[in-house]
Amino acid sequence: MKKFKSLFILSIAGATLMTFFACNKFLDLDPLYTQDAENFFENESDYERALTGAYDLLQGSFMNLWIGEIASDNAIAGGESVTDTEGLHAMETMTHNAVNIELRSVFRWNYAGVTRSNYILEYKDNLDFDGKDRILAEATFLRAFYYFQLVKYFGDVPLVVDQRLGVDEVTKLDRTPKAEVYAQIEADLTYAAGILEWTTPVKGRATKGAALALLGKVYLYQDKFAAAASTLDEVINSGNYALFNDFTKLFSVANENSSETVFDVQYSGLEGGGYGCLICLEGNAAVGFQGIRQYNGPVYGDGNSYNLPTQDLYDAFDASDIRRDATVLDLDAFIAAQPNSGSITYAIGGGGHTGYYNNKYIKRQGEIGLPDNDLTSPVNYKAIRYADVLLMAAEAHNRAGSGDATALGYLNQVRDRVSMPNINSSGTQLTEDIWNERRLELSGEGLRFFDLVRTGKAASEIDGFVTGKHEVFPIPQVEIDLAGGNWSQNNNY
Amino acid sequence: MLKTTLISLCISLISWGLYAQTTTVSGVVSDENGMTIPGVNVVEKGTTNGTTTDMDGKYTISASKSENLILSFSFLGFETSEIAAVGRSNINVVMKPSVAALDEVVVVGYGTSTKKEVTGATAKVQGESLQKLNIPRMDQALQGQVSGVAINTNSGSPGGSSSIRIRGLSTFGDNDPLILVDGVVYDSEGLNSLNPNDIASINVLKDATAGIYGVRAANGVILIETKKGSTNSAPQFEVSSYYGIQNAANKLGLLNAQEYAVIKNEAFANGNDDAPFANTALGEGTNWQDSVLQSAAVMNFNVGVTGGSKNTTYSIGGSYFSQDGIVGGPKSNFTRFNGRVNLNTDLSEKLKLSSVFLYTNEERNILPENGIGSVLYNTINAFPTDPIRTSDGNYSYLEEVSDIINPIAQMENTHNTAWVNKFVGKEELAYQINDDFTFTNRFSYNWALVDAKVFSPLVWYGPGKAQNNALNANLDPNLVEIADSTFLERGASVYEGRSTYVDVTFESFVNYKHVFNKDHTVKSTLGVSVFDRHGEGLGATAYNIPNNSIEYADISANLASGGFLNNASSFQYQERLLSTFMRAEYGFKSKYLVSAILRRDGSSKFGPNNRYGWFPTLSTAWVASEEDFFNVNAIEFLKVRASYGISGNDQIANFAYRALLDGEGVYVFDDIITTGVALGRSANPDLKWESTRQFNLGTDFTLFKKFDITANYFIKNTFDLLFQPDVSAVLGSYGAGSTPPVINAGDVSNKGFEFELAYSTDRNKKLVFNTNFNVTTLSNKVVRTPDGVDFLPGAGFGVGGNIATRFEAGYPIGYFHGYETAGVFQTQAEIDASPVTQAGAKPGDLIFVDQNGDNVINFSDDSDKTMIGSPIPAATFGLTLGLSYKGFDFSANVFAAVGQEIIRNFERQQPYANQLNYVINRWTGPESTNEDPRVTTGATRNTVFSDYYVENGSFMRLKNIQLGYTIPKSVVSKIKFSSIRVYVAANNLYTLTQYQGFDPEIGSAGGALASGVDYGFYPQARTIMGGISVKF
Repeated sequence: MKKFKSLFILSIAGATLMTFFACNKFLDLDPLYTQDAENFFENESDYERALTGAYDLLQGSFMNLWIGEIASDNAIAGGESVTDTEGLHAMETMTHNAVNIELRSVFRWNYAGVTRSNYILEYKDNLDFDGKDRILAEATFLRAFYYFQLVKYFGDVPLVVDQRLGVDEVTKLDRTPKAEVYAQIEADLTYAAGILEWTTPVKGRATKGAALALLGKVYLYQDKFAAAASTLDEVINSGNYALFNDFTKLFSVANENSSETVFDVQYSGLEGGGYGCLICLEGNAAVGFQGIRQYNGPVYGDGNSYNLPTQDLYDAFDASDIRRDATVLDLDAFIAAQPNSGSITYAIGGGGHTGYYNNKYIKRQGEIGLPDNDLTSPVNYKAIRYADVLLMAAEAHNRAGSGDATALGYLNQVRDRVSMPNINSSGTQLTEDIWNERRLELSGEGLRFFDLVRTGKAASEIDGFVTGKHEVFPIPQVEIDLAGGNWSQNNNY
Repeated sequence: MLKTTLISLCISLISWGLYAQTTTVSGVVSDENGMTIPGVNVVEKGTTNGTTTDMDGKYTISASKSENLILSFSFLGFETSEIAAVGRSNINVVMKPSVAALDEVVVVGYGTSTKKEVTGATAKVQGESLQKLNIPRMDQALQGQVSGVAINTNSGSPGGSSSIRIRGLSTFGDNDPLILVDGVVYDSEGLNSLNPNDIASINVLKDATAGIYGVRAANGVILIETKKGSTNSAPQFEVSSYYGIQNAANKLGLLNAQEYAVIKNEAFANGNDDAPFANTALGEGTNWQDSVLQSAAVMNFNVGVTGGSKNTTYSIGGSYFSQDGIVGGPKSNFTRFNGRVNLNTDLSEKLKLSSVFLYTNEERNILPENGIGSVLYNTINAFPTDPIRTSDGNYSYLEEVSDIINPIAQMENTHNTAWVNKFVGKEELAYQINDDFTFTNRFSYNWALVDAKVFSPLVWYGPGKAQNNALNANLDPNLVEIADSTFLERGASVYEGRSTYVDVTFESFVNYKHVFNKDHTVKSTLGVSVFDRHGEGLGATAYNIPNNSIEYADISANLASGGFLNNASSFQYQERLLSTFMRAEYGFKSKYLVSAILRRDGSSKFGPNNRYGWFPTLSTAWVASEEDFFNVNAIEFLKVRASYGISGNDQIANFAYRALLDGEGVYVFDDIITTGVALGRSANPDLKWESTRQFNLGTDFTLFKKFDITANYFIKNTFDLLFQPDVSAVLGSYGAGSTPPVINAGDVSNKGFEFELAYSTDRNKKLVFNTNFNVTTLSNKVVRTPDGVDFLPGAGFGVGGNIATRFEAGYPIGYFHGYETAGVFQTQAEIDASPVTQAGAKPGDLIFVDQNGDNVINFSDDSDKTMIGSPIPAATFGLTLGLSYKGFDFSANVFAAVGQEIIRNFERQQPYANQLNYVINRWTGPESTNEDPRVTTGATRNTVFSDYYVENGSFMRLKNIQLGYTIPKSVVSKIKFSSIRVYVAANNLYTLTQYQGFDPEIGSAGGALASGVDYGFYPQARTIMGGISVKF
């Protein structure tokens, strides 16, 4: 009997011990034969694959191309009707509010990009291998890219660094002051620029030039002119970039990856897609959407008549400036000049009509992708090109108050390429000239609205723009609610 | 200490020496009717010395010749009688039936209680009352027998499953209760494997006292005990068998060929198309239902032996069951073999071994059922004008509707079989430490091996049919491009799969019971439980099976070259639970009873932040009839109970708390689309179980010694339902392919009232009558959905049609959401005069009701849709009647459910599809009818989901009716039998309902949100059977 007693006491003790002490291990199961987010980053290729995932969100840039133009004086929303992508129409008329699907997309996609970048950086110490620095630097660059979008659109945004959050943690976050977000962006880009090479053997990857150019832009957006000037000078002086000689052909697929490319968002025409998930596309949605509605004729393809340039933009150009027709397609004039003009037809969408189309990003017949080719354009989005770098550097030198000569040199490089006469102004007139040049050079590329806000010109140039309100977009109300309802909304929304 | 022990020992020895003399007592035990009772426990009070009465009620016991010798006689269903036996050698005992069977043992989880003392809301069903119904699944037999437990058949096909819902639906997720067979986890899907003849009793824990099972208890717990032997009893053999013929209980009223032609011509004319039938005098045409629905046999053979020696009891059984389907006959056959060995033995005086072993082998042949593509769906919609076979002997193609195929051809070409081998058992060692403490260790397992084989011959159902896998009517194989311009033939294929599912549980617990000062009873249970469940499966398909023949349907017969066409897949999973539990009970004079339960569960299913949960329950009862002041003569027994507690539902996907890498991380490098990896579903380390807080107030009482009544009122609120709703963008869940995390949000409330009444006349009457009646009412409501989620969409209506059911705050789970109608427009003038604009309306169209008051029926959004039904019955009723007179016995079981609706969703709304004959009463002109709209092939809104497609689903069903005759004992004893009973019975003989479908009792095969949606449900058969049961 004693034997039994001891046996039972032992097993009681054993069971109890197991329950209270060994339990964590017993319950700590991993899914079998499955790589999930918690048991990833076990070899170099895991890091590469995760990095590819972080790049993916850059392809949401088509939305930036729309909003940056439509919210400015450059373009109207267009489309099939005034309820077609309604959020863009609201931004066109400066009546946008906190319920806006497109703004929510910007908020969602860029945070998805931040999260995917953070995911790599969260596990940066898991493994060591040659080339890890480059991967971490690219991830850091991407995080800065996405945060810059967020801070540009929304001002103060919650800053999450090197970690993923749980549902409850989000409700404990507040919006981080813009300055702190910018500080993180600057730190990330400085780190990335320190590691990345000027050139990359793989087209599409971030380079040192991309990181520095973006850093320069970030400085400029904060009016840190001296820092911007020196950073952008480094890009210019590297000798790795030059303006592409023919502006009229700069935006064609054939001329992508030219000497002017500092950072392109890459698209491909080799994968189909559906309207249900534009962020899932590998093609550039903006190009097809900006095409001519039901167009039947040469050169161009049929599209959805989005993001239509205004008369104001057309008139801003000197008639002798080749950039006018390269930037804005005057469709009726184009048709009239064609041999069989009578047989060329197109439709006018109910969402507005200006007679003009974005001639930089428009579906061309030689550049269509797989069906549905509205969704599968292979045309890259030029996020940062050398002309932008030169004009930013010019502005930085000019506004820093120390280098109008340098500024004029950069500005006139841009004008020389399109055979426009040199400018010889100085001081604030030069500042105005540079800003004007930015419009002429960079219109249709999604920069205008943010340039107007940054330079304090938005109120005078954009109808309906309210100072103290429209400098930033409202945080989507649903995002405030989902984050626990504690965030303050941007002023006056 | 030592001294005391020695003294005690000495005294004992002396006493032994003085009193160790024995006496022998013998006698006969009988009931008030004079019938002898076998198996009565006869125990010398205060000792473990005992015996049981033999087949003739006789006993002989050797007892100590003490001055205080008392013999205790106990038997289930009778009051225990204690008789002073000093100086007596012959005691004949007449046992009185116990009132309300108050001493009946109630299994409550890791222990037992009695009906008198249990503090929770439980229900118990004896195995015999299930077996009697001859229903192959235990849960289907349980329907209507217990209040608060709703059983719905998900399919009437042999081997089809049921859904068991204890006290309503708590979640749109998994509502299945925890089922334990002798303490072994038994999944509700696998209940087919359990032989109802092996069941001794079923206990259902309905309220919070199920919380002893913690995180698995929120949907209630069903505790099944298998048959066991009793000590000192001779082997009793029982052989029983039945044979029955099944038929469709109901056929749909479908159009015959002539009616069909007339209606279709009219529909085409209304749609401005040419009439398809020049001649409508086509007579009856083909009755597809009569061709598909057939008579089918069901048979069962059982054998068992039960008995025990002084130290060992045993119960061994085996059975064979086979059922053909009323659709497809052997093509939907279900066959099951069961074996069972229960063995209990005393290894020593204090150490008991209990062993349970259940083996099942089953084979199930499966035809496509429940939905578009199923045999019945095709049968309902097939054209009566087309023959089964055309004049050339081939099956007709039913060409005009692309997704309707010839159901006879379909059955012939379907070869889909699944086999299950299942081993369930436990080994339990119980050690009686002393009079107060028992220590139990048990190891239990549930191991299932499931094999499946699907042979898909090359078939051609007609041009354009989706089910074709041949290229043409000559059955030439399709060609598959495996590389540039390289083609391979894809012929007949066979899929084979094998999966294993293993549950292992180790449990160790101590039970304590002590009575202090006569009046204070303290009971306690303390234990640990370790549970591991894992499984894996492997499956593959082989193509180009020789001769297009099932004879070669094996992967090894694959003729496809290069292995290009083979595909293999596998899965595996694992989950674990680690639990500690305790229950403390206190009773004062069996009058005031309190019980507290606390369980702590750790589960691998939950995130690190919520891996462990505590589940407390408190219950109490007051037996008022024990009070001195209680002197209501009519009431023999009265107890009032209350319980409150928290339990959990852990039936969620494994690892749902973890982040997945199933996002789309694709980017373009060097102009090449490069696939990377991206976070998919976000992590939620805070993920936890759904938790249920349940309050129960109940009473049990006995009226006039004959009526046993139980009533319960409960409020069951479930919190933290698992959703995947919109979450903050900051979580990063909105990249391509990414999805939000699974979070806990959303509440559901169930409230209800349960009433049970049992009545029985005295046993000594010649005519014995007994009845059980129960009622359950239920009010189910979704209380909250997560912020930003207005509703969860459920089942769709039609093909690619609107969402017809919803999970939405303020409404029952899965309520029907669509347009309300108000008759039929009679004239264009009526349409023009209507204040509400209904786009496209023509005379004869349904009038929809403007819900939002904007005077327009909005078809592009939900603003004019409203609640038009609920699948949840307002009340269910169960009634059992029993009558016996001399050797005859009669019984009937009735089940009814009222207040629920059904969506009639088996009509293919295509121009040529056949229709129910209600369309004969269609609108044909002003004032022709205000009920059924016109028929047309043109554009019409009549086919959108509206209350026109919702029917009253209330029904009352005579589940079983039976007449038996037991041959008098005087006759059978001559041939050495102890009893022979023969009977005839009918299952599902009659159903009272207005519902136009096959069967109003439709389950929820598609989950909680598909309840009440009839996709062409495989109906339960009507069975006429006869059987015999022999004991010897």
